[in-house]
Amino acid sequence: MGLRGYLFRRAINTIILILFVIILNFSIFQLLPGTQGVISNLLQNPRITDKSIIGKYQNQFGLCSHFNPATNACTLATPWERFQTYFVNMLTFNFGVSYQSGHPIFQDMIQTGRLYNTLILLGVSTVFSLLIGIFLGVFVASKRGTLFDTGWVTTSLVTYSLPTFWMGLLFILIFAQNLHWFPPGGVIPFTWQTPPPLLVYLAVRAQYLFLPALVLTLYFYGGHLLLTRATMLESLSEDYITTARAKGLSERKVLFKHALKNASLPIVTNAALAFGGLLGGAIITETVFNWDGLGHWIFSAIGYKDFPVMQAMFYIIALCVIAANFVADILLGVLDPRIKYE
Amino acid sequence: MSDKSRVPFILVRLKNFLRLLTKSRLAFSGMLLLIIFIVGAAAAPILTTSYPTEKVAAGLVPPAWTAYVFGATRYSQNIQFGGLAASTNTTGTGLSLQSTLAGPDAIDVHVNSTSGGTILIAKTLNYPYSASPLEFEGTVSIIPTGVSATRPANAIVFMERKDLGQYGPLWNSSLVTSGQQYHQELQSFGLEQRLGFVAGTNLGQVIFSGKGTYSLVLMLTLPQGPFQAEFVVTKLTMSLFGNSFGLLGSDAQGADIFSQLLYGARLSLMVGLVATGIGIGLGLVIGLMAGFLGKAVDEILMRFTDMMLVIPSLPLLIVLATVLGSSLLNIIIILGFLGWMGFARLVRSQVLSLRERPFIEAAKASGAGTGYILSRHIFPNIVGLTYVNLALSVPAAIVGEAALSFLGLGDNSAITWGKMLELANESHGGLAWWWVVPPGVGIALLSLAFILVGYSLDELFNPRLRRRR
Repeated sequence: MGLRGYLFRRAINTIILILFVIILNFSIFQLLPGTQGVISNLLQNPRITDKSIIGKYQNQFGLCSHFNPATNACTLATPWERFQTYFVNMLTFNFGVSYQSGHPIFQDMIQTGRLYNTLILLGVSTVFSLLIGIFLGVFVASKRGTLFDTGWVTTSLVTYSLPTFWMGLLFILIFAQNLHWFPPGGVIPFTWQTPPPLLVYLAVRAQYLFLPALVLTLYFYGGHLLLTRATMLESLSEDYITTARAKGLSERKVLFKHALKNASLPIVTNAALAFGGLLGGAIITETVFNWDGLGHWIFSAIGYKDFPVMQAMFYIIALCVIAANFVADILLGVLDPRIKYE
Repeated sequence: MSDKSRVPFILVRLKNFLRLLTKSRLAFSGMLLLIIFIVGAAAAPILTTSYPTEKVAAGLVPPAWTAYVFGATRYSQNIQFGGLAASTNTTGTGLSLQSTLAGPDAIDVHVNSTSGGTILIAKTLNYPYSASPLEFEGTVSIIPTGVSATRPANAIVFMERKDLGQYGPLWNSSLVTSGQQYHQELQSFGLEQRLGFVAGTNLGQVIFSGKGTYSLVLMLTLPQGPFQAEFVVTKLTMSLFGNSFGLLGSDAQGADIFSQLLYGARLSLMVGLVATGIGIGLGLVIGLMAGFLGKAVDEILMRFTDMMLVIPSLPLLIVLATVLGSSLLNIIIILGFLGWMGFARLVRSQVLSLRERPFIEAAKASGAGTGYILSRHIFPNIVGLTYVNLALSVPAAIVGEAALSFLGLGDNSAITWGKMLELANESHGGLAWWWVVPPGVGIALLSLAFILVGYSLDELFNPRLRRRR
């Protein structure tokens, strides 16, 4: 089987995965108790005199197969019918209405700037964690066995295994509360009605971005560093490195042109995977720093029991991870001519 | 026969493990850490004096030792009034009194008077701190006998500082019913206006303005004329809550953080071990089935495993905890059911390689059934793997629970380390380092302990990793 067949297989796999996620997401929320409770609550509430209102709500939350607006008469849909509408909705990104705001979720996601905020935070921390992780990994591998090596390996293991929320709280405690270098949370100051001059704007935004981005960077660089180090060690022991050194090439050229290039394959695929996983990792960091992004939205959805938002966010995060996996597979297939297609 | 041969085998492994502990510094420190945590968690009721939610101090005060470290001159600690005694006031004539102490907080007083008078039941305190207490809290409880509606005794509680004046009444009541218990909680909050101060005044600061001798007095005024009565003071206490407390300070509710930390270690260990146990059990069953049965079963199970591996775990945890409810048991089960995939793959690959070994073929040839081969030949060969994975996946479960608690999806009745961090984060007075640091250090160190033990077990069970001597 050639490259095309390999990609085809991966694509089929990805589609099956998306189906699985949709089914899982649907069935988890089917487990929710409460419909009967809500109905009896509505019926027993003396303030609600018009009992037919139940039908209206059932229609609003998509539980009806047929609905008569004049009488509020609702014919309940079977789970299978609901799954069909749900399935189409998921594929068309029509996630329904948020309980918190009453707006369509897709609109809430984009127009409130949540998506934008999350992309900024994740973009910055991904770029920095990749750069730091890869460069340090290369240097650490070139100085194998020294104190520099063990020191950085230990440090990255520690930062990798510390809970992010605790790291965030500590940074807020030290840098925001005691030293007042950075704000303790938020995306921009509350006092901003109109944006200030560009330079001030950028400086203040960078100040707000610093701590959450630092936490995410510290959390993610360790993985890149350890992986780069491992693959670099492997490629540094190859014969062509000895040849390159014998040719009299500078150490920098040997490391980056010869060793890193050949070691880059797992690093690239890992970077693609990491980008998919970031969104899940951002939930906690955004919550700690009150960063009004998608992750923080999930947190507030928990508090409000805003199930449509949770459902939509879980779906989107899962989609990101699945897409990242697919991209990583493609990269692996395209970049590595040695790969064996089963 | 088989039992006899198995016991020495376990002993050999134990001996190997102990040797590893003495040889490898990392394994030793991991084991030591783990033992410290287990002992701390088990001995929590002995090591601490209060439950994690019990108010034993002023809200949000730093640890007591910070005063020495940072050289603070104005600090105070928790202190109580003591030295309960009863005496008569000289104004009464023909008043005789007989008292017997029944413990440090209780006293039994017999009174015989001809023309009224007052009795003082008092506790004293030599207040040694330059800083005032932040709060105080006490109880008075008295059972009179021999009083009646027509001839009641009057009870007043006040505090007094020598030469500086009285503060009271903290409580003022007519004792009219014989045999009834009169009970009052005395708290610094809500008493300001009764004592003639503006609402919101810090009474602790006003009353205990400096070093000196203070007394807490329960004054009983007897009715005129011949009177004979017994007063059983079942409780007369007063605790002052200083501006520092204990080993790790207090939380916003005035509960002991050290106690929360130790009881939290219990919960964390339980969550980690039980959830991982469930995960390892599931992984073992699925991995064994996939590896040994092979073919379609293998294909289906491994596809499912791969799908579960791809799905992001934290969002799934959040969704499940929200939908199923967030009791501790639920969280443990959810964590367990989301933690089996990696181990299942590992077991499967191990079984696939074991399956082809000659001893399995020999067992099959001698007529052994699937169950027998699995339990007697395959399982013993992956027990080591199980231990290693158990140790290595506990940290993930502990951190997972903490993350859920931090997001507000934890069990509200269980003060876990994650719950502590959530409460610390939500507290209005800003983040308090003595509240934020301990649970995080706990999580980090406990995870580290399990990882170190896991790696050393790996070295023990995995012959490829064993160092040549």
